[in-house]
Parts: sequence; structure tokens; C-alpha cells
Amino acid sequence: MKKAAILVSLVLTVSTLLWVTAWSQEDIVVLDASAFENSQRPPSVFVHEEHNEKAEIEDCNACHHVYDDEGKLVEDESSEDQLCSDCHGLDAEGRQPGLMKAFHVNCKGCHLEQKKGPIMCGECHQRG
Amino acid sequence: MSEPAKTDSPQAPDIGLSSGIARLTPEKIEKVINDVIKGETGARLHTYVETCIHCGLCSEACHYYLSHDNDPHFAPVGKVKQTIWEMLRKKGKVSPEFMQQAALVAHTQCNLCKRCAQYCPFGIDIAYLMTVVRRVIHKLGCTPQYIQDTAHSHSVMLNQMWVKGDEWPDTLQWQEEEAQAEIPTLRIPLEKEGADIMYSVIAPEPKFQAQLIYQAAVIMDVAGVDWTMPATTGWDNSDMAMFTGDYELMGRLKRSHFETAARLRVKRVVMGECGHAFRSVYDMGNRWLGWQMPPIPIVHAIDFFYELLKEGKIKIAKKFDSPVTLHDPCNVVRGAGLEEKARYVAQQLCEEVVEMTPNREHNYCCCAGGGVINCGPPYKMTRIQGNRIKAEQLFAAKTRGARTLITPCHNCHSGLHDIVHHYGVGLDIKFFGDILYDVMEKPE
Amino acid sequence: MHDVYNFVAGPLVWVAFIVFFGGWLFRLIRMFSLINKKEPFIYTYMSWKYSFRSIFRWMIPFATTNWRRKPVLTIVTFAFHICLIITPIFLLAHIILFDEAWNISWWSLPEGWADVMTLIVIGCCIYFLVRRLKSPEVQFVTYPSDYIILAIVAAPFITGFLAYHQWINYQLMLILHILAGEIMLMAIPFTRLSHMIFSPFTRAYMGSEFGGVRHTRDW
Repeated sequence: MKKAAILVSLVLTVSTLLWVTAWSQEDIVVLDASAFENSQRPPSVFVHEEHNEKAEIEDCNACHHVYDDEGKLVEDESSEDQLCSDCHGLDAEGRQPGLMKAFHVNCKGCHLEQKKGPIMCGECHQRG
Repeated sequence: MSEPAKTDSPQAPDIGLSSGIARLTPEKIEKVINDVIKGETGARLHTYVETCIHCGLCSEACHYYLSHDNDPHFAPVGKVKQTIWEMLRKKGKVSPEFMQQAALVAHTQCNLCKRCAQYCPFGIDIAYLMTVVRRVIHKLGCTPQYIQDTAHSHSVMLNQMWVKGDEWPDTLQWQEEEAQAEIPTLRIPLEKEGADIMYSVIAPEPKFQAQLIYQAAVIMDVAGVDWTMPATTGWDNSDMAMFTGDYELMGRLKRSHFETAARLRVKRVVMGECGHAFRSVYDMGNRWLGWQMPPIPIVHAIDFFYELLKEGKIKIAKKFDSPVTLHDPCNVVRGAGLEEKARYVAQQLCEEVVEMTPNREHNYCCCAGGGVINCGPPYKMTRIQGNRIKAEQLFAAKTRGARTLITPCHNCHSGLHDIVHHYGVGLDIKFFGDILYDVMEKPE
Repeated sequence: MHDVYNFVAGPLVWVAFIVFFGGWLFRLIRMFSLINKKEPFIYTYMSWKYSFRSIFRWMIPFATTNWRRKPVLTIVTFAFHICLIITPIFLLAHIILFDEAWNISWWSLPEGWADVMTLIVIGCCIYFLVRRLKSPEVQFVTYPSDYIILAIVAAPFITGFLAYHQWINYQLMLILHILAGEIMLMAIPFTRLSHMIFSPFTRAYMGSEFGGVRHTRDW
């Protein structure tokens, strides 16, 4: 009985007191989160060139997609000259997801499909 | 299991318990416990046990716990741990020694007062769990001797005190004669079919407190009540079988009582100042017989006196001038909400009523009820040591002026008598009936 | 690591919720079938009025005698249960996962509040632990299982707190957090945490008996 109690108290105290400072990061480029009011998490780490090199992405519209009014993906068109927030408002509009969800689905969705890249919240939203 | 609780003095031997325990075998214990748990309990037991989060919040509800300097053995949940939890955990494989301790806990360290049910955030009925333990003990034949003897009397005589068939009407006629010296026209109407009220008492009244019947007769007579008492069995409303877990016997007793009232075609049963009997006829016995509420309205003496005073059927000549304090008996206050009526009666009868704290439905138990006092002399000190807190409460009331203690319940009356004398509290103890008889206007 | 994450955040979530709700249902069915079989008289005495009178009374801090007698414990208990239930349901990260999976979302707590509420839960768990160790009347009725239950409840909040702040090993911590949450959900119907399921019923029954039969208050 005592043992279990000691164990619990150990976990409680040690885990709250002890932490390792997160990986120190230099040269981090993060996604532009300025469109968000009152951001709840640090902006996502995203090094554009490195990402595309690693992921072997050549077509811009793999990420910078364009959908037509009926919600169909327009092949061969890309939107890299625009901000994501130009189309995606903070809230969803019809079938068009809100900005945050658009980011999540775009990044994490692909990572899950490819079984590569970060998928856990804090892997992108890293704290310094 | 931890050490048993500390008691200040060794208990006197209890032959019913010790010889019962000596006859036990582990196999028998296991079988009986499992028979009771599987056969007789259901959702309540299992839900209570599985819901209890072991928080200990019931502890301070218990007068035993408070009186024993917060010894956790006496906390309601501590008593559950020492009894039903172990029985369930070990699936009935417990020793005779364990059962002996369980019998002491369930029979002499819990008054089934249900104060803890008001303290448990989940409303777990710990008193019910104790009655399950008592049921097991009953089926194992280890019930403490004295209370088992009263149960035997119930079984043979259909009354608690071995009052023989002819002794009963004889006692009533004796009291009738006595009272006629005061009011020549007074009658104690026996077997009057179609009367409004059947008056019922517990067997200790004819056995050794016959003056209470005298007083009741005077009150009935002066108030002009159309009443009767049965000359046959069924007059005794008391019920120790309810407390020993002998529910089959409880059923016989209550059937006899209700059928007697039905035979006399009375509209209501009025009962004397007794708490456990009220619990038996109002809450427990009727359920065993399949009645949601009693088949005939049951009126406790407090309620009846309230009615007589409120309707002006009894007038007060001169109020009782000694300041009184009022003890709220569990079975009619926590058990029936009669606290305000009791206060009305007290205020009508007495010049000054000093409240004790806590009071009303939070009052401390007398430590005699629930069959504990009926376990007899071997456990007298268990009761007295187990209720030091009551003595403190009574002292406090005395400090604020109280000189007389009103206890509208037989068990409370006897239990508090022991408390008051042992601790030297120095309060006079009376029933409402005693005072009412004294202060009422009587015909010249 | 991602395979493990995908497993605990995918199929295991389904398992956990199925066990949680299924277990909840199972325990209720078992309770009601026991009542029907052995104690149908209970229905006779149940009263909506007195059931809710009792439940509401006990859900208000300091509204009952015992809540008033134990002010610190009362505050801790209420803070604990409120934060314990509100935090996970209205946590942004949880809602985002629901949104991504099922396209449903609802109002979320600001992260700062959630962080404080998590700390409240952890602090309350520490209080309960100390109380269990130090209070004789609680100690006397404490079994190893009581510490395990406490650990089961504390674990999702401790790991969640650490994962949120990305202290120690983030990936491991998040996986542990999800696992701990799933363990808690699955434990609720089958341990004394089932007071979450049963307490409204025990309260209602006692409230009905006290109100309807005993004509008095059960608080």
C-alpha cells in the first residue's frame, strides 16, 4: 500500500520538477500565423526548401491548391502567389475549411498519407 | 485486518455470541454468507459497495467515532470494512473469530441511526449494510444472547417480554382500576370494534412501566378519544426481530399487529413513545409484508399529542416549569420528520425549551437504539463509552439552563438514563406523556 | 513512434470509448436487472422530486452539512471534479482531433485556462493522496486499489501537462498521455471510479427514501 503511494508521489513530484529544455533551434522558419487572432499555440515549424527537398515535391500545387466554386480541385493551377488566408477565413465557409483546419488537413493529412513527417501536435507547434 | 478497536473495559461474556461462534465451521460461514449475499441482496448492496470511494466523509456522522476520539474503527466506513467488505473480498471465506468481531461491530457498535447516510456524498445506506451483516449473524446463530432472547419471546408469545396471554388484559384492567381512583368514569376499552383508534404499546410497558398505560388512558379519556386496546396478541408493536435480521419473524409480528387492528376495524393505530416500534410498523415490517406504507395509518405519540394540543382536545392547566431540552429520536425524526411537531408539543407543555446542538434530523443518537441496548448488560459500557459525545451535548444543554430531558422514545429513554447517570449529567428524564399527564387539565 | 501514435490515437481510442460507453451501459443494465430481479420495491419508493432535490443539493458546494463541515475538502472536491470533466471535453487539441476525424467541433477553452485547470486537477490529486496517507479515518479504509485509482485519474493530467509544455520527451509523453486517458476511460465502469455512473442513482434513492418516507432531509 505504502509502495504504491510512494510511487505515485514520486511520479507527481519528479515529473513536475524535472524537465529537459526542448531542442534548441536555430534557423527555424515558421509558418506565417499572422492571420490568426489570439493564437493558442506557437506557429508551426516549417522550413520550406528543406521540406520540399526531403519530400521530393516539385509541383507547387501539391500544397498550394486551387479549388473551383463547386469545390473541385483544379488540376494544374496553383496558388503559391497567394496567402492561404486569402481564401481560407478563420471560419469554415461551406465546404471550405477554416484556416486552422486547412493547415492541419493540408500538412498532417499528407503526412499521414505518406507515412512521413510530423503528425503530433507538438511536433509542428514546437515550444522554444 | 487491523487491530480491533480499543475499548476501555473488557466486555462481559455473552453466551449467545460465544457459544454460537464455537459451533461455527469455515464451511458453514462461507455457505451462509454467500447464501445471504447471492440470495437476499441485490442492487443496493453491490452498488453501495462498488460506489464507495473510501473517502471517510461519513466518519464524523457517528457518535461512536466522535466518542472514541476519532478512532477509525468506529467510523461508519470503518465498520463496513471490518464486516461486509471482508466478507465480499474473501467470498465468505472468513474465520469464526472474524464473525465474532463482525457480530460485535454490527450489533453493538452501530445503532442503525442512519445519520451517516446524511453525511455520505453518495447517500450510501451504511445502516442497511450493517443489517445485512446482522442477517448473516442471525443465520449463523450467533446473535447476542439478550436480544436473541427477546426475539424468542416474540416468536413464542408474539410480544417482546414473555408477557403471558392473561397477564396482558389483567395489566390493562389493573391500570384501569388505578386510574378510576382519579377519574371514576375512565375505561380502557378492550376489543371495541369500530373504535377510531387502536392504542398500541411495546411489551416493556405492561411488564414494568404500567404507569405509562395509566397515563395514556387518562390522556385518552380526557381528550374524549374513541379508542380501544386489543385483549389478544397483536397488541405489542415492538420488534427485536427486525434488529436481529430475523425478517421472517418480523413479518409474523407485524402481520399479527396489523391484522389485530384490522379485526378491530379501527381507523388508525396510535402508538406510545417508542422509536424502534415506529420504524418496524412504518418502515420495515410493512415492507416485508408487501405494503408500501403501513396498511393502517400509524400515528406516533408525538404526532398524536400534537394533534390533541393543536385541536384543543387537551388543555394545559399549568405549564411544566423546569426548563427542558428535547432529544430527537432517530426513528421518528430522521425516520419520520416529526421534529417540528415535537417542538410544538414541548413548547405547549413547558415554560422553557432549551435546544441542544446538533438537533432535529442531525441529532446524535442515544446509542441504545437499533437493538444495541437489547444486547443487554454485557454491552452496557459499549453503549456508554460509545456515546460520550451525547453526554457532552447534554452537559452543554444543561449549562444553558436545561434541567429536564424529554426523550419521546423508550430506547432513548433507557439509553440516555445510563448516559446521564454514568457521566453525572444530572438531568431528569421524562417522556412527553409524563409531562402531559402532569400539566393537563383534568376533570375535578 | 508514429506507428505507436497512430495506434493509440486511432484504434485504441475506439476501443476506449466503446469500453467506456459499453461498460457504462453494461453496469446500468446489470444494476437495473438486479433491481428488477431482487429489489423491485426500490421503484415503489423512487420519487423524481426528492431524487433531484437530493442530487442538486449535493451538487452545490456548502449546501449540505458535511460540505460545510469540511470547507477545504469541499473546495478541492468541487474544483477537482469540475476541472476533471470540463478540461478534457473542452480542450482545443481534443476538439481539433474530433474535427479532423468527424468534422465536428465545439467551443474550446483558451489554452491558458486549460493549463491552469490541469494543474488544479493534479494539485487536487496530491491533496487526495496526502489525505489518504495522513487522515486516520481515510487511511484505515485505504487499499492499494485506492492509490491505483488515484494514479489512473492523475496520469492523463500529468502526462497531458508535460506533453503540452513539451517537457521531457514530447513524443513519448503524448503517447503516454493518450494511453493514460484511454486507461482512465476504460477503468471508469469497472472500478470504484464507477461512482461517476452510480452516484446519481444512490443519491436519488436515498433522497427518495428520506424525502418520501422519512419526511426529512438527507443532507
